[in-house]
Amino acid sequence: MNPQEPPEEPPAPTHSARFGAAPARSARGGPAAAPHDVAAPPGHGSPSVPNDAGPPAAPRGGAAWPVPASLWWLPRPRFRRHETGLLALVTVALLLGFVTLRSQQAMADGHDRLTLGDPTIPLIYLGTVWAVHLLFTLTGRRSDQFLLPAVALLGGLGLLLAARLPQSLVTQQFGPYALGLADLQLLWLVIGLAVVAWLAIAVRSDNWLRLYKYSWAGAGIVLLLAVFLFGREVNGARLTLCAGPVCGQPSELLKVLLVVFLAGYLSENRGLLATQRTRVGPVSLPPLPYLLPMLAMWAIALSIVIVQRDLGAALLFYSVFLAVLFVATARWSYVALGAVLFVAGSGVLYALFPHVRVRVDVWLDPFADPLGAGYQTVRALFAFGRGGILGTGLGAGLPAAGGGSAIPAVHTDFAFTALAEELGYLGALAIIGTYLVVIQRGLRIAARSADDFRALLAAGLTLTIGIQTAIIIGGNARLIPLTGITAPYLSYGGSSIIASAVAVGLLLAFSEREAAR
Amino acid sequence: MDGFFLALWILRIAFLGVLFLFLYGVARVLVRDLRRAERDQRTELGRLVVVATEGDSPPTGAVFALDVVTTIGRAASNTVVVDDQFASTEHAMLTFRGRAWYLEDLGSTNGTYVQGERIEAPVAIGFGDEFTVGRARLRLERGRT
Repeated sequence: MNPQEPPEEPPAPTHSARFGAAPARSARGGPAAAPHDVAAPPGHGSPSVPNDAGPPAAPRGGAAWPVPASLWWLPRPRFRRHETGLLALVTVALLLGFVTLRSQQAMADGHDRLTLGDPTIPLIYLGTVWAVHLLFTLTGRRSDQFLLPAVALLGGLGLLLAARLPQSLVTQQFGPYALGLADLQLLWLVIGLAVVAWLAIAVRSDNWLRLYKYSWAGAGIVLLLAVFLFGREVNGARLTLCAGPVCGQPSELLKVLLVVFLAGYLSENRGLLATQRTRVGPVSLPPLPYLLPMLAMWAIALSIVIVQRDLGAALLFYSVFLAVLFVATARWSYVALGAVLFVAGSGVLYALFPHVRVRVDVWLDPFADPLGAGYQTVRALFAFGRGGILGTGLGAGLPAAGGGSAIPAVHTDFAFTALAEELGYLGALAIIGTYLVVIQRGLRIAARSADDFRALLAAGLTLTIGIQTAIIIGGNARLIPLTGITAPYLSYGGSSIIASAVAVGLLLAFSEREAAR
Repeated sequence: MDGFFLALWILRIAFLGVLFLFLYGVARVLVRDLRRAERDQRTELGRLVVVATEGDSPPTGAVFALDVVTTIGRAASNTVVVDDQFASTEHAMLTFRGRAWYLEDLGSTNGTYVQGERIEAPVAIGFGDEFTVGRARLRLERGRT
């Protein structure tokens, strides 16, 4: 079957059937009876009408405000109790964090008083978060209530770090305004939250993702090729693509596109992949014809990424590819095959590329060259140690010494290390715990989705966030060789924040359809 | 001076405390969720949704909870009765084997179609897949918890 061909029967009726209640309602011009009146007792074997097909005056689960009957067409507000409570905690935590940070900085200037300093940055951020929450409440979302607070907390901690580091690390000139690190991070976080709100509220159907999976994959490849041809080289890696004053790293977006493609392809061919196999001697392999488009996709993405010398992204792509494949087929042979290929590939890369060799050598013994190649890692290890159990306190860590930063790339690759130094072991534990909350919610949404595409997409997006976090935290703590990659929501970086926001927005949208089913 | 240090130190501890309060708040609800899931076990293996149909019964949008073996056809003895002229008396059968659903044609006149192709032998179908019995388009979905 030609994969480019759309399914013989267009899935448009799927959509109208699922949301059949809405058009039927508006056609009758008022709160009419359910369009599918089936007078049959619910239960096994007898048809039961979907719950959301009822008249709009029948909310289910959770409290709703009474709305006059003449306003039936308005979205019905719905309290989001857990989200409100958790966001209140996030607000308190961030304000406390900013007070400790600004007081510490005031103390360094010789003023011993507790102060919030300039409240603009935390207030704008918290205002945006609450605005998103209010929007969800007013539009009557039934989506997951834990994702937004968890992401808001991580983003807020990232903002704290950005406000704490020397503002000159990143600067950008927008006309008459010169924006520093914290201003830019705030700008990106606000845009990211807007993306989350827009996707969570506007996405009603996944057909635009499911049907155009090859187009999305193609777009990703074109984007990467564009970077390869026109990209700007920063730190020896050609990652950045600039359009006017705004620069971005398309490989961040590519990871989302890759997951969309994998989910679409695997959900279509899942039965075949899980049951058939090709036998080569004693080894039973997956059916090769069905795997080829995916392997090609993977090889293209990987080779481009290796050509661009972005090891972190390569590792992330490969791990996500294997994880989604395993989720779809539940077969260990794929994972075993993938692990063997990974070991072989790593060996080849180690032999061929000097920059890979440097990373591994630094990982094995950073103290061999503590002022050269191992400098970054050595400083990071000292930072972890200095943090201790309770941390030095925000603003009191070593990055404050002098005007510059003690760890190179502290605002992107070593964001977790910097926070671990100033918040200590307990703070680091809380950050990891918050990431786990995001992952748990994502996997729960995946496990409860009605169909395979959404399940795979939700699992893939969640695993992307999870694996990326694991890679960078492991790299920071010298558990695995360090690869340059951002900590989702925590690190500075527009592309990273937007890509992670897209993932969370889609997860929220899918959890909504799940709840409304 | 000392008072200020003490206050700052208390605020720092409070900051860490609120972070863990947040995690505690999430964990409490998670545990309650898990308990509830444990109490009412997943009763449905899957559900069948009528996506589109020409006949009267079942109507578009109807949902059937599925048992391990579900027969589909025009006769009243079927688990899911599709009242459609183009459906055979005993048309198709859905079976849950191990952890996957299989669709089998029971020798119907007009055939059972998955993704536009007529099936000859039992095929594994995933959640979200659609198939056609007569003129009725049906979709297999994951059961509710």
